[in-house]
Amino acid sequence: MDSSESPTETKKTKSKTPRKNKETVLKQKSPAEFFAENKNIAGFDNPGKSLYTTVRELVENSLDSAESISELPVVEITIEEINKSKFNSMIGLIDCERVDAELYDDYETEKAREKRLAKEARAQEIQAKNAALGKKVKETPASKGIRGRGEASFYRVICKDNGKGMPHDDIPNMFGRVLSGTKYGLKQTRGKFGLGAKMALIWSKMSTGLPIEISSSMRNQSYISFCRLDIDIHKNIPHVHVNEKRENKERWHGAEIQVVIEGNWTTYRSKILHYMRQMAVITPYAQFLFKFVSDAPEKNVTIRFSRRTDVMPPVPLETKHHPSSVDLLLIKRLIAETSKQNLLQFLQHEFVNISKSHAERLIGEMGPDFSPKMALKSLTPQQLVRIHQLFRQAKFDDPNGHCLSPAGEYNLRLGIIKELHPDMVATYSGSAQVFEGHPFIVEAGVSIGGKNVKQGLNIFRFANRIPLLFEQGADVVTRTALKRINWSSYKINQLQDKIGIFVSIVSTKIPFKGTGKEYIGDDITEIASAVKYSIQQCCIQLKSKIVKKMQAREQQERKRNLSKYIPDATGAVYNVLKDMAETQLHASKKFRYGDDDGELLRKVYENLITKETLSEKLAKHVEQVDYEMALEYATQSGVSEEPREAIYIQPLETENKIIDLHSPFFVFRMFY
Amino acid sequence: MAESSKKRRRTNTDDLPFKNKLKPDSTILQILKDFSTSSSSSSSSSKALTLQDLSLPFSCREVSDLSLSSVQSIIESLVLRIAHSILSGNGFAFDVPSRSATNQFYVPELDRIVLKDKSSLRPFANISTVRKSAITARILQLVHQLCIKGIHVTKRDLFYTDVKLFQDQIQSDTVLDDVSCMLGCTRSSLNVVAAEKGVVVGRLIFSDNGDMIDCTKMGMGGKAIPPNIDRVGDMQSDALFILLVEKDAAYMRLAEDRFYNRFPCIIVTAKGQPDVATRLFLKKMKMELKLPVLALVDSDPYGLKILSVYGCGSKNMSYDSANLTTPDIKWLGVRPSDLDKYKIPEQCRLPMTEQDIKTGKDLLEEDFVKKNPGWVEELTLMVKTKQKAEIQALSTFGFQYLSEVYLPLKLQQKDWL
Repeated sequence: MDSSESPTETKKTKSKTPRKNKETVLKQKSPAEFFAENKNIAGFDNPGKSLYTTVRELVENSLDSAESISELPVVEITIEEINKSKFNSMIGLIDCERVDAELYDDYETEKAREKRLAKEARAQEIQAKNAALGKKVKETPASKGIRGRGEASFYRVICKDNGKGMPHDDIPNMFGRVLSGTKYGLKQTRGKFGLGAKMALIWSKMSTGLPIEISSSMRNQSYISFCRLDIDIHKNIPHVHVNEKRENKERWHGAEIQVVIEGNWTTYRSKILHYMRQMAVITPYAQFLFKFVSDAPEKNVTIRFSRRTDVMPPVPLETKHHPSSVDLLLIKRLIAETSKQNLLQFLQHEFVNISKSHAERLIGEMGPDFSPKMALKSLTPQQLVRIHQLFRQAKFDDPNGHCLSPAGEYNLRLGIIKELHPDMVATYSGSAQVFEGHPFIVEAGVSIGGKNVKQGLNIFRFANRIPLLFEQGADVVTRTALKRINWSSYKINQLQDKIGIFVSIVSTKIPFKGTGKEYIGDDITEIASAVKYSIQQCCIQLKSKIVKKMQAREQQERKRNLSKYIPDATGAVYNVLKDMAETQLHASKKFRYGDDDGELLRKVYENLITKETLSEKLAKHVEQVDYEMALEYATQSGVSEEPREAIYIQPLETENKIIDLHSPFFVFRMFY
Repeated sequence: MAESSKKRRRTNTDDLPFKNKLKPDSTILQILKDFSTSSSSSSSSSKALTLQDLSLPFSCREVSDLSLSSVQSIIESLVLRIAHSILSGNGFAFDVPSRSATNQFYVPELDRIVLKDKSSLRPFANISTVRKSAITARILQLVHQLCIKGIHVTKRDLFYTDVKLFQDQIQSDTVLDDVSCMLGCTRSSLNVVAAEKGVVVGRLIFSDNGDMIDCTKMGMGGKAIPPNIDRVGDMQSDALFILLVEKDAAYMRLAEDRFYNRFPCIIVTAKGQPDVATRLFLKKMKMELKLPVLALVDSDPYGLKILSVYGCGSKNMSYDSANLTTPDIKWLGVRPSDLDKYKIPEQCRLPMTEQDIKTGKDLLEEDFVKKNPGWVEELTLMVKTKQKAEIQALSTFGFQYLSEVYLPLKLQQKDWL
């Protein structure tokens, strides 16, 4: 290259050859591109987690959609495993046989093969030996072939619901444009980013290149919209393949979304099933059908989580901002968006907890430059800062929790009973509290026993009525349950009992920590103390039940526990008596004992009183004491442990013949 | 060779701090002799008080040494009473003196903890006491056998006779104390002893089971204190004082340096919390030889606690405090005020933990501390500075600083409380 070249040309050549000191070029990135590159933010860290996140995003969308039209949700999820050749045929690729085997990562060299065969032979030898010795032989897993890097598994995820459906013309934009949505605004929402199915679409485009298919119909709509589309990641716009109207014979409303993605069912199976189960706990009014379909029938899973109640929590309301929660940018945006003209109206109507007189006082406090009637548009940036300062310093009433929609104690309790079948359960619903201007409600449930529950603490966390499964260790609920609750004081054994702890937090803004939004930090005192209090309230309810149960058990086991020690006690006493009897009669010493004692020892010596005699007498005494204690217990606690409920059975014959005998204190009714 | 090594040692230690303050050994010996005679005359003049001498507003429970046959007959009459009770269909119950903290009382006149006479019934037919009463019956039977055969066993032996019932040794040990309290005899009268723990070395000759033992000729390790005091007798000594050491390490240093030959003394340690045998042995030495007792413990709350166990007795064994406590023990060191006085560097001092400070504050409330204003002052200083130090902190000036400078200087200055 010639040194006399002009500087512009040098620049050009430099940009051509990629080097470290490359000139920075200003590039623009579309939101879709950003999320494609940082997909871990939205929970698409790896194929397994992507499968999990896709399922949850679709399920949560379905629930939101059904709840928004007050329809009891029915959600069907199907995950279909697609093997490689089927996948290849789907994308129109012909299966290629490996020709040059050594080219691949999982190629087994001669040495490795020898090693493996020797190892297998050894294992077989040991097994044969064990079998010969009659030992129980554990089934050794069949030697798995090494899975190569390229061996991806693909899944078709189908989610069908009975929700609101989508307007025909909006469908492409609802799926094909990231950061556009209907759920923005200040209210309690399930979704975490408003990404929903769009991230699934981006993931499918990245891993399989196959488009998403959407069928949807709204109430009383005679047709079903069918749309097949993918997304232009660079432009952040939908790319529609098909968008047509089809016949709606069943008058179905709702949406059905199909997406083919790379995933990993083996490693995320339990997470997905846990998610479904916990979702069923927190939404017992919904019906879920979960299916996993693959070529191998033994791997297939079908679980139905049936509906247990018709009571749905109300739809969360959109609320206005609380003055202490807004920042400068938000104030500017609110001013830009509001229809109000002057400052007084703005304060009064765009925020909660500011009345007209309060607004006037606030404006007076802002300074001489401010007046109630001044036009909003005339506010200078300095004046906005002043408003912001005052908002942060002034005292406002706490926002109330009316805009929140907690699961409700009834639903939480039902959900726990439905999915865990515990021996005991207690629930508690706290009142609304505030953190940084956002109201929150903590509800808790504690259960003891149940099926499929491990020993020790089983923690179930919910935020805005969706389960949180990851990063449990640092979460406020985990920390509280492990460190700040003294379980033994509630007669609960932290290690032995099967304890289920359910904490649901709802808020207009959940203060998540970490990029994945999977846990709530332990550093917020308001939430930590509310969580602790709620769990304690549940424990207090449980304690009285547990104590009653323990007393009842003690009643049953008292006789056995007392009788257990009879041989020890009488054996000891008898041996001393025997020694005494022998020394006394053998040594023929001076008579040391009184008449009674002498008589007793003589009987012992002559085997008239034996260890058995003592045991019998003591056993009788134990029986008598046990009887007395049982009687006392019965008089104290009533004969039956639980109060009986009156049951009224209608006679089969319709004719009711009754006579009422009236007295000043009661009525005696006779059926005949 | 020995001469030269001795010389080297002398020259090396010359530059030790405070070494120059030391007077010749003969002067220190004279000081000690005066102290020894004055303390022995004072202890002989004041007759030991007993519980009976005081007219306390409540009755106390004290045990005494009983002969084997009387222990046997007490057990037998107790068992007979129980047998009658069982045969008449009433079950049975033991009346066990309570050894809980609320039943303890510090008597300043006696300078020891005594047990009040509260007791609790231990019926068999009660779910909360059935286990303990079965164990009590079993222990009674085992002790009865020991009485008949006239042999000694250890607490561990006792536990192993019925592991299934006792489950762990703490349970059988606790009940053993209950039994000796209930029968009104010392634990040694039950012929049950603890394993040997304490050691003694120095200017002491005594007979152990008929063999004469000279503790100056026991090598570095010293003589293990025999677990049953009743076979110890004929104590003779030309020592001027008894040195009670908390730690094994400090004891070893003093024994190796033959400290007892420079200043005639008897050195005793129980390696931490003292066991019954060591306490009995110390008491016996004090009573028979009439020597003053000086204590060398760590400068932390536990050091003082150990001192108090020697002096006033433990709560667990308060029923036998008359036999187990040695009155008038002087706190020689290492005291909190010594840390600054001897310029012990910061890196050898440890900060006290929350638990340490709490223990220290609790100790300040105890009567046996309060009666000695010097101790209160020292303990207050410890809690205030929040620093503790072990005896080993003195090794910062050389391993032999303890025996070469610290103790001689302390003795010379009569610096004990």
